Amino acid sequence: MKNTRISAWNVWQNPIFRRYCYSRLRARGLGIQLLLFVLVSGFIVAMTNSIGVRFGSDPVDNARRALIPLLVIQGIILFVFGTAQVAGGMVAERDEGVIDYQRLIPMSPLAKVLGYVFGLPVREWALFLVSLLFTAWSLWRGQVSWTVWLPLYTVVVSSALLYHFTGLLTGTVVKNKRWAFLVCILLVFSLYTIIPQMAKFGLVFFKYLTITPVFEESLPGLLPASSGAAVRAWQRLAPTVKFFNLDLSEVVFTVFSQVGLILTFTVMLCRKWRWSESHLLGKLWAAGFFVWVQVLLLGNALPLIEPGTLFPSRGFSQMMGGFQGPAPSTWEAMAMSGIYGFVTLALIFILAGIITPSVDNQVRGWRRARKQGATSIPALSDGGTAFWVVLFMAVAGAVGWFIFTRGLVESRWYPGHIVPLRTLGYFIAVMFAGGVGFQTLLEGKGGRVLGLATIFVGVVPVMVGSVMASISDRFAPAAAWLIGMSPVSTPFYASGTLLSIAELPGNIARAVPRAFHFWLFVGLIVALWLAVQLRANRQKIAKDVLQVAATPSSQ
Amino acid sequence: MSAIPAIDIRYLRVDYGNFVAVDDLTLTVPRGEVFGLVGPNGAGKTSTFRVLTTLMEPTYGEVILDGVDVLEDIESARRIIGYMPDLAPVPTDLKVWEFLEFHAAAYGIGNRSQRRERVAECLEEVALTDQREKWCKELSRGQTQRVVLAKTLLHRPSVLILDEPASGLDPLARRDMRTALRKLAEGGATVFVSSHILSELAEMCTSLCVMNRGRLLASGTADEVRSTLGNTERVLTATLLARHEEAAAWIAAQPAVHEVKVSGQQVSFTFKGNDDAQADLMEGIVRLGIRMRAFEEKRTSFEDILVGVAESNRRP
Repeated sequence: MKNTRISAWNVWQNPIFRRYCYSRLRARGLGIQLLLFVLVSGFIVAMTNSIGVRFGSDPVDNARRALIPLLVIQGIILFVFGTAQVAGGMVAERDEGVIDYQRLIPMSPLAKVLGYVFGLPVREWALFLVSLLFTAWSLWRGQVSWTVWLPLYTVVVSSALLYHFTGLLTGTVVKNKRWAFLVCILLVFSLYTIIPQMAKFGLVFFKYLTITPVFEESLPGLLPASSGAAVRAWQRLAPTVKFFNLDLSEVVFTVFSQVGLILTFTVMLCRKWRWSESHLLGKLWAAGFFVWVQVLLLGNALPLIEPGTLFPSRGFSQMMGGFQGPAPSTWEAMAMSGIYGFVTLALIFILAGIITPSVDNQVRGWRRARKQGATSIPALSDGGTAFWVVLFMAVAGAVGWFIFTRGLVESRWYPGHIVPLRTLGYFIAVMFAGGVGFQTLLEGKGGRVLGLATIFVGVVPVMVGSVMASISDRFAPAAAWLIGMSPVSTPFYASGTLLSIAELPGNIARAVPRAFHFWLFVGLIVALWLAVQLRANRQKIAKDVLQVAATPSSQ
Repeated sequence: MSAIPAIDIRYLRVDYGNFVAVDDLTLTVPRGEVFGLVGPNGAGKTSTFRVLTTLMEPTYGEVILDGVDVLEDIESARRIIGYMPDLAPVPTDLKVWEFLEFHAAAYGIGNRSQRRERVAECLEEVALTDQREKWCKELSRGQTQRVVLAKTLLHRPSVLILDEPASGLDPLARRDMRTALRKLAEGGATVFVSSHILSELAEMCTSLCVMNRGRLLASGTADEVRSTLGNTERVLTATLLARHEEAAAWIAAQPAVHEVKVSGQQVSFTFKGNDDAQADLMEGIVRLGIRMRAFEEKRTSFEDILVGVAESNRRP
């Protein structure tokens, strides 16, 4: 009997996928749900058509009326039930204790990930396919062009996969059963509902992580002719996605953006399946992911500055019937620059949290280095310091922020204003103080100290300052000083201080620049001190480990 | 038989923060052995097993199974290992044959019919052929353990790692488990098994080791372990037909003897000497011309040894 290895891409033969086909496609469990969805889908199609017959409307329009309700049902099946099933199923595997068997089976991590991501929601895919029959009939009777439905359903499938990967990741990473489900809901809600709202403030790329742009574009083609035309006239959508000098189809760009995120999630899951203690991302992938997000943010935003659609006020005016309002205010550009810096800093925090080694990681790294005859931990391994990668991200983020800010301020909307090169130096300092300070604190002092620092330096000053400022204008300068202490406020302070378009209210016009310079200086000193401390700490760990490890096995 | 040991653990250490779960463990298990690992709760058994089964990366140390470094070549190591965890869980949504066939496919065993054949073989080995169509969740504790053992055997692993395989089993099922493990070892597999119950391991294993607080206290055959742990004391009872008082006086005068008692025909005493000294003692009684009907030896039980180890943990 020969042992054969199954290709990771052969999902149909994947044992994990087949295992879930056995358990989740049993007639007993599937039958009632299938019947329910067939009844609901059939009812929708029958009702829309019968109402149309009663009122004597066009059969083509009648058929089209069923499409949106069917799409909603399919969305619920795939996005809600499917994602919940993936996250919950993974948690249940761990809860039952059978996950250790799955870890031990000699399939590649990728094969395991694909087996789970397609296997756990296999019933939901089956229900989706059944309801798709009703959609197909409605599309055919409604004479909907394939150029309308194909892009839409491509993005439905890619979005479902993205959601399922998100569910699988949370189910795999979060240990606690209840937390896993809650985190999954929060993550899906944030990633695909809240974060896309950033598109309204200049970070256009985030909306392409959702089905929304393609749905909006397809909507007129799915509706009955008269209402479709009305929606088309009202929408005034840009026909393509601008990406630097390129004009890309919305579906292509959405799928491209989603695939990037799916790939990153896949890497995270594969690493966790290989070693459960691994970091979610390697240092190289984290740096690449950061640069990729920066490029996408800039590529989508910069081309929209000249037409003005990037600015919230003008984007809204155009949406409301093409009214060309006044030039965007200086406040808008200042806030958008601050938001860009804040989001970049937040991304550095998240990635630094992922790639920063714990003491255990460092000890293992040193031991392995010793075993392999090396004199240091490989820079890109989990045990290696994340300092240099976070430093790189801080510089890259500052450059992206500078390019975005310069694009905004030096545009035709603010004639005569320029962003000097020294601003880049300040932006690097802001990212260094915040990002590198965060990383060095985490690596050198551990998660507990970082948590306390986040609360007492990052959050409390902002809360206290906000309360003070709301009591009386007299407290505004003091509040500005207090809020400026928080690293998360520095990107906004930087925009308010360094940009020539900035027009701060009189009561804080002096306090904000002073607070910015003072706290930036303090932050830089602290970050540098932490970096020096970190170096000494790592050397101590190395010395301790190598002393303990000086056993015959390591000679 | 190859000279490469089946299990070679060198300077293994597992830390959880500041807590050292396994401390500098070095152990070699030759092929074809049924090797037992015993220790009280918190001894480091499960951490050792998790490292051996590639489920956990140690803080440092090396683990080599059948010549494969489990930390460097995880996938090859996983093909060698058959692991049965403590309390052996089974998925609630599968039937017995589906559970086994899934694992047979995951290990890439032959084609569909060969897999079915292998599943049937393993079910027969654990005497569960008649439970093939049953839901896993409907099995009794003992049946569940046996199904998981069948799963563990599917890919014919050369190293079997069984964490408390007999826990929750009735005496009959325990006996069957012991027989099955011995049979596997005779077939060339190496079985590394843990238990809280030292006497059970002593019956089942060719050799064993005792761990406590992450450290190895003793290893070897059951007698060697008993000897290493310093508990060579035993109670000897001579059943004599006459001259009991005289015999008791003579015995009490011998070295390594204390607590001599006479009760009816029996003279009981505690003896702390080695096996040669014990043989000399018996010979001496016979030379005295006292007629001896029986001679009984009662050693300190393994349970007592383990209780002693566990109690030592409570002392400050």
